Amino acid sequence: MIEHFAEGALMAFSLDTILMIIVGLFSGMLVGALPGFTTLMAMAILLPLSFFLDPLVGIPFLLGVYKGGIFGGSIPAILVSMPGTGAAVATSIDGYKLTQKGESRKALDMALYASVIGDTFSDVFTILMIFPIALLVMQFGPPELFAVLLMSLVIIVVTSGSNPLKGLVMMLFGLWLAQIGTDPMGGVERFTFGIFDLKSGIPLLPMLMGVFALPEIVYAVMRNEKVGGFAKLVGARLSMAEFKRCIPTIRRSTFIGTAIGIVPGLGQVVAAMMGYSAAKNASSHPETFGQGEVEGVAAAEAANNAVNGPTLVPLLTLGIPGDNVTAILLGAFVAQGLRPGPQLFEEQGAIVFAILVAMVLANLMFIVIGYLSIPFFARIVTIKTGLLVPIVIMFAFAGAYVFRSDTTDILMLVGFGLFGLLARAAKFDVMPMVMGFILGGPLEYAFGQTVAMAGNSPISFMFTERLGMLAVLIATPLIGYALWRRMKTATN
Amino acid sequence: MAFGLTLLGILGFVFMSHLVAEPKVLFGRSLTAITPSLFPKLVLATMAVLASMLLYSLRGSLTSRESKTFEDGALRRVVMLFTVMLFYALTMEPIGFFISSALSMAAVAWIAGNRSLFQIGAVSIISPIGLYLVATRGLAVSLPELSPIEFFYAGIFDTVGSFFGGAEGPAQ
Repeated sequence: MIEHFAEGALMAFSLDTILMIIVGLFSGMLVGALPGFTTLMAMAILLPLSFFLDPLVGIPFLLGVYKGGIFGGSIPAILVSMPGTGAAVATSIDGYKLTQKGESRKALDMALYASVIGDTFSDVFTILMIFPIALLVMQFGPPELFAVLLMSLVIIVVTSGSNPLKGLVMMLFGLWLAQIGTDPMGGVERFTFGIFDLKSGIPLLPMLMGVFALPEIVYAVMRNEKVGGFAKLVGARLSMAEFKRCIPTIRRSTFIGTAIGIVPGLGQVVAAMMGYSAAKNASSHPETFGQGEVEGVAAAEAANNAVNGPTLVPLLTLGIPGDNVTAILLGAFVAQGLRPGPQLFEEQGAIVFAILVAMVLANLMFIVIGYLSIPFFARIVTIKTGLLVPIVIMFAFAGAYVFRSDTTDILMLVGFGLFGLLARAAKFDVMPMVMGFILGGPLEYAFGQTVAMAGNSPISFMFTERLGMLAVLIATPLIGYALWRRMKTATN
Repeated sequence: MAFGLTLLGILGFVFMSHLVAEPKVLFGRSLTAITPSLFPKLVLATMAVLASMLLYSLRGSLTSRESKTFEDGALRRVVMLFTVMLFYALTMEPIGFFISSALSMAAVAWIAGNRSLFQIGAVSIISPIGLYLVATRGLAVSLPELSPIEFFYAGIFDTVGSFFGGAEGPAQ
């Protein structure tokens, strides 16, 4: 194994690999920074390009797009509260507030440093732990996954808004929305009302842009505010004292993100929200979270980027993509003649380690590229104030369309925009709804598998499945207490 | 909002059999461990109960006149803005990305308070062209487009066809 690592490290330090990582990082940041265009879309589009490159050039290039895109998505999230991906949603909570306070530069600096630190640590961790982790995850069954997903949803409800009951109802609405389309297990239609376009379900992208971006734009227009007025890279840079204050938060979020990244199906959205919630709970001044707290940005960004490395563990060891992005990476591996799985380490161990080392290299280059190019990418959303609204709407509509080349998605964008506006007016937080929607499919799938495994004796099954039982036993009182405390605060 | 979600939960639960197809059966046995309607039933029933509880808890605030969320003039602009967005969504494919974007962007800029015709014209014409070039040339993705020449000829053929009373659809 050490020989494989040494050989792989040498292979990663080739000029072609480094150049294509830089191209990938820059492309990812560019696409991520454009409101409405996602990392996933950029990777899907650039995937064919990687087929024509050497595996040690093509795959690191895609990883560069991935890393650049994740950070790039935080730029519009911070500047105009328009998270291009679910991963950037948590970042926008405090990031946009900082922008409104005239401290956008600080928020973006923090996002960059937290991203790079979280990502680098998780990559090193991945390299060191890939074999033992593979063994551990192989023991992880649907009951444990179901328990973790459920726990994530409850935590999100608890931490959203002031009224947990509103959050619960919105989360359930999101779960219901996730059931629209074809049932993944039985293959039958549910809640499609005979509409053909609903058979494949509601697409995530128009929903995200609809509920988060459109209400923000509408509010700006209504109040005669100028969105671009906030969308400027202004204020002081992040000071060393502020950075040092955030180190415990970054460390905590990095651990959370790394742990979540190992579990297939959870991904960056859960990591970012859990990292944010943990930071808020651990803080001595939790009331500042949501009001423009730089620790909030650090927590979300470190956690969502720390997912990047470990999310490759199930992919490389079992051939199971943890999320959409790793599914695209799986396509790149297969097209290159590399079939992820236990055999890959035996047959192509050096290439696997070369790719992992390239990920660390990408982070080191990213801190320089990101630092220098933030002002450039920020300009994309710092166009003259009155002109930004129509341009943002055009990007949102074009972004919603290009994802599937379907005008239904644009109608959904408008529909969810209207829903988001009404929810905001009624003081309902849309975050639990989005999380319910994202996790609804995996939750139901894990639930179905758990029921199938349990057979006719679910109670005895629960007590014989040690990990699942443990998760439920630990999570239930904690969640109950947190919910109770939250509700009490809300009523006071 | 709470009332709407309560209603959705109740109606969805009551009419579940019409909204969820029957599970597939092979040799008299279901192919899945849980029926396709089980999870939706759990979700909708819980939502109906919790949303009605919420409705009950909010009854005081619903009866009292809260501060207006929007001013009258702003509300009119919201309606106008969503009308333009709906227009944009419905026309992007039939009339193409350029024309629909230019018209919608000009309208949005006007609603947003921009009164400079030069700026409105420049933004609504240059931006769609720029985005179109980036998307189609740079990112290799397609946006709805309509060739003006095709549109022109199709119109002529339709007019000629309807004049002679023969053709009902577009000319082939």
